[in-house]
Amino acid sequence: MHHIANASLTDKVMSSGDSNPAATPTPCVDIQGDGRWMSLHNHFVSNSKDKEPDVLFVGDSLVQLLHQFEVWRELFSPLHALNFGVGGDETQHVLWRLSNGELAHISPKVVVLWVGTHNHGHTAEQICGGIMAIVQLIKDKLPKAYTLVLGVLPRGKMPNPLRERNAQVNKLVKDAVSSLPHASLLNVDPGFVHSDGSISHQDLYDFLHLTPQGYQAVCQPLHAHLKGLLEKQAEN
Amino acid sequence: MSGDEINPAAVAQAVEDVQGDDRWMSQHTRFVQECKDAEPEVLFIGDSMVQLMQQYEIWRELFSPLHALNFGIGGDTTCNVLWRLQNGELDNIRPKVTVVWVGTNNHEHSAEQVAGGILAIAQLLTSRLPKTKVVVLGLLARGDGPNPLREKNAAVNGFLRSWLPRLGQAQFLDVGAGFVHSDGTISTRDMFDFLHLTAAGYRAIAKPLSDLLLQILDETPEEKRASLV
Repeated sequence: MHHIANASLTDKVMSSGDSNPAATPTPCVDIQGDGRWMSLHNHFVSNSKDKEPDVLFVGDSLVQLLHQFEVWRELFSPLHALNFGVGGDETQHVLWRLSNGELAHISPKVVVLWVGTHNHGHTAEQICGGIMAIVQLIKDKLPKAYTLVLGVLPRGKMPNPLRERNAQVNKLVKDAVSSLPHASLLNVDPGFVHSDGSISHQDLYDFLHLTPQGYQAVCQPLHAHLKGLLEKQAEN
Repeated sequence: MSGDEINPAAVAQAVEDVQGDDRWMSQHTRFVQECKDAEPEVLFIGDSMVQLMQQYEIWRELFSPLHALNFGIGGDTTCNVLWRLQNGELDNIRPKVTVVWVGTNNHEHSAEQVAGGILAIAQLLTSRLPKTKVVVLGLLARGDGPNPLREKNAAVNGFLRSWLPRLGQAQFLDVGAGFVHSDGTISTRDMFDFLHLTAAGYRAIAKPLSDLLLQILDETPEEKRASLV
């Protein structure tokens, strides 16, 4: 498949394809036998041909599931948003999708990027590198777009290493985008972790994926922030 | 299933925590706790097809009123469901109907093995809950176009159709009609990723299912609840 070396990157080595698997565009191999990942990718590419979204949401199952609930129609359809979320996607998969057609026919003003929690086997540094590679790719393909990276949420019922990893990813990404005029990190965790360290299934039904209630808590501030960004983009 | 071979799809097996946040066990523990507090008339058990249903409005509309519990866990195979049922998720409850929907994730097993695993679940349920009726939902088609998994799932359904009636208290319900169009495609309007159902997809399957559940609950001799109608 196509591996694109990000020659324009001079940043940290972690966002260069060769040394970081999380930042190397990689398609998902169909091991189950029904080719769904590629079908979805192709669907997104062809679906974008006659759309003119102002906002593109791209990422993993947290993005994909958002599209299924009322909150999408309430808050994001009115902003002319498209949803290119694929369950299970890691940073390298999103990188491949965006490098292979999903940005070819559209010019959104804002790209909302939410990915990283499924990058099992990668370190926080590698995951940050993967996210930053996506941010750079979006900049290359859509020079006028703003990229809003959403912080990776905590997961698991009780404190665990993945919560620490995700928090570290957010910290590293926040630092990395701080000098960029075209990107920022938004923390969308409304406080899912209670004082005893637990997360409720009312917010994350399987301690990873959001319930409609969980999405409302995440999306209200996100929506407000997006509207602000779109207004600023309109002024430029 | 032939003679003495052990069917791997009928061997109870917990999910190992490889990711590091122990979510499968946390979900199982929560279900066991729910068994202590709740008195469900209907129990749903299975994989993400069951689990996701509870996140949509349709659950509150059609199944909450039936006093239904949802013990679905995404990714589960027949082995995982068997383990959960053997390890607390049937304790202290006496549902009148159990809805079983699992098998599409059994990637290591043949269609016959998967059907055998589902049958083992139905047998476990009828032996632990002698008065319960078991409704086994057929596996849905999956994937954008024709593919081996569709054939496999259809084969599983074929086995279940002939095996389940022999259990007496179990029946098979095929809710998959209409998802595959004449050109062989499945629409993302019904399955957003060609596997999991959208709100519209669930609405289509929920009606025949809730009709059947109401019918079964209505036939059940003990305390008829006025709230069910």
